[in-house]
Amino acid sequence: MPIHEKSLIRPENLKTHEQLVVDGVDVSGHWSTFIQSRVVTDYNEALQEEIAALPGGEYIHRCWQCGSCTNACTVNAVNPDFNPRYWIYLVRMGMESELLRDKDIIWQCVSCNKCTYACPRDVAPEGVMKALSHWLELKGHTRKSPSMIFDEVFTDQVIERGRIEEGRLIQRFFRRTGQALGQDWLIEMGRRLLRRLPLGLLLRLGLAGVHAPRTRGWARSRAALREYVAQEQARQRRALGLDDLIEGARRDAAGITHG
Amino acid sequence: MSKPILIVGGGPSGLAAAHALTSVGQRVVLIEKAERLGGAPILSGYAKLVPSGEWAKDAIGGMVRRVEEDRQAEVHLSSTVKSFSGAPGEFDVELADGKRLQAAAAILCTGFTHFDSLNKPEWGFGTFPDVVTTAQVEQMISSGKGVRCPSDGRKPQRVAILLCVGSRDRQIGREWCSKICCTVSANIAMEIREELPECHVYVYYMDIRTFGLYETKYYWRSQEEFKVKYIKARIAEVTSDGQKLIVKGEDTLVKRPITIPFDMVVHAIGMDPNVENKTIAAVFGVTLETHGFLARGNSYANTAETSRAGVFVAGAATGPETIDDSIAQGHAAAARALALVRPAQASA
Repeated sequence: MPIHEKSLIRPENLKTHEQLVVDGVDVSGHWSTFIQSRVVTDYNEALQEEIAALPGGEYIHRCWQCGSCTNACTVNAVNPDFNPRYWIYLVRMGMESELLRDKDIIWQCVSCNKCTYACPRDVAPEGVMKALSHWLELKGHTRKSPSMIFDEVFTDQVIERGRIEEGRLIQRFFRRTGQALGQDWLIEMGRRLLRRLPLGLLLRLGLAGVHAPRTRGWARSRAALREYVAQEQARQRRALGLDDLIEGARRDAAGITHG
Repeated sequence: MSKPILIVGGGPSGLAAAHALTSVGQRVVLIEKAERLGGAPILSGYAKLVPSGEWAKDAIGGMVRRVEEDRQAEVHLSSTVKSFSGAPGEFDVELADGKRLQAAAAILCTGFTHFDSLNKPEWGFGTFPDVVTTAQVEQMISSGKGVRCPSDGRKPQRVAILLCVGSRDRQIGREWCSKICCTVSANIAMEIREELPECHVYVYYMDIRTFGLYETKYYWRSQEEFKVKYIKARIAEVTSDGQKLIVKGEDTLVKRPITIPFDMVVHAIGMDPNVENKTIAAVFGVTLETHGFLARGNSYANTAETSRAGVFVAGAATGPETIDDSIAQGHAAAARALALVRPAQASA
């Protein structure tokens, strides 16, 4: 076997019996090593449509695999396994199991958008990476990333009050991500603020902490935003077939048999 | 009255040359081997042509009628040239049926022969009924019957188009690129997606050569508008599990072997030299180039020349050619032949 092809062997595909005797011949240990097939036997044609249904993934079908995105990628420079070009291909061809192998690094995209500028086909790979992370979460393959939780806390507050209040934002974010409120850098910041004594600012922060300001006449905007977000979320769940899954689970729970 | 110009072959280039000559009052004799005029687009039942999207029976059919109705064009169907001798201005021509005539010059528009997929048995043509060629899919579309699996007439759910079948393949002595199959395949893929939106179409390629302006209309459009998928893989073999065709190869971008089930496999067949080129070369005393197509005598100053004075060539006889370029070459050859037959007269 040519040396470069050894890199194609996946550790999980190597099967070895510690103790094995075949027809009286002891083939224990590496004598019984067997490499399982890594043949792709079908395409999941729904995968591309699912990614395309999520914000950012709309233009994935344009990709012609030139590799400009991976070449431009900030994260790829640090981790060669981070390869947007490759993931786009897997999605387009419906190689879901292959994609899931990389679920723990896909979310590491830093959204620098260098790929988006480099892409000759306007695929907007950064958007695809967002859609991929989102898809992994919605399908339950990964937990919500801290940045996604931050986005949610931020958005919830904007929708609720029409503005954000930093103290509250960081409090909720820490609480939801299980982080201690008394972090070193935060304590240090408070200490320095106190030393300089910008009284007006401290007063405003304190007041805001107590009575939570909101934008006047926000109720109608809030209702419209909530309605839109709910519609969009429902559309995405439908596109990903999640409602079917939930419906199926509910019926299973209720003891209704399928078919 | 001057002698007519002999045109051999009634495909796009021959029809173009004939019309160009008669429209300036030059008589022509058109010899066609088949029972009807039109060449490959008509005889093989092409559907919508690249790049205009016009139906072949309208576009090329119109050219056929134009020649058929032309009194200055004498058409011999089901006919071939048996012997050809003499010199420019006074060639003696004998047809296979013994008929003799004289010609001032000759234009060879003898075209090409579709690659016979039986020469690549590993890709299943002739073994499995649902392995077909691009020419057959063209016929399914142009006949109005639609794209169906020949085995049982069902609508395919998944179609694979294999590019470079009989092209760029040294194993079978065909090193050349047939130039148009990528574009034709993209066109067919879009036709299938349009007729059967539920059917997924995959194109397996080594390179995509939708050259020039075809890039936008075929390569880009097939992906952006029709969601056709392109996979860089040279297929190793096409087999069957009794239900579906199994396409085996390596997906080179993921470095993994694939064995994917398909309902229908389409061979994008290339253009071979006309199977009769050796006879044609012997009869007309012209040389063939290394691949077996008719050799051009000159690459620039007079592209319509062959190795023999007074014998011109146009279209896919000289190598894989598009229909529109074949037509342009037919016009060009007509101009060169006319220049030989009627040299410029001193102005009075």
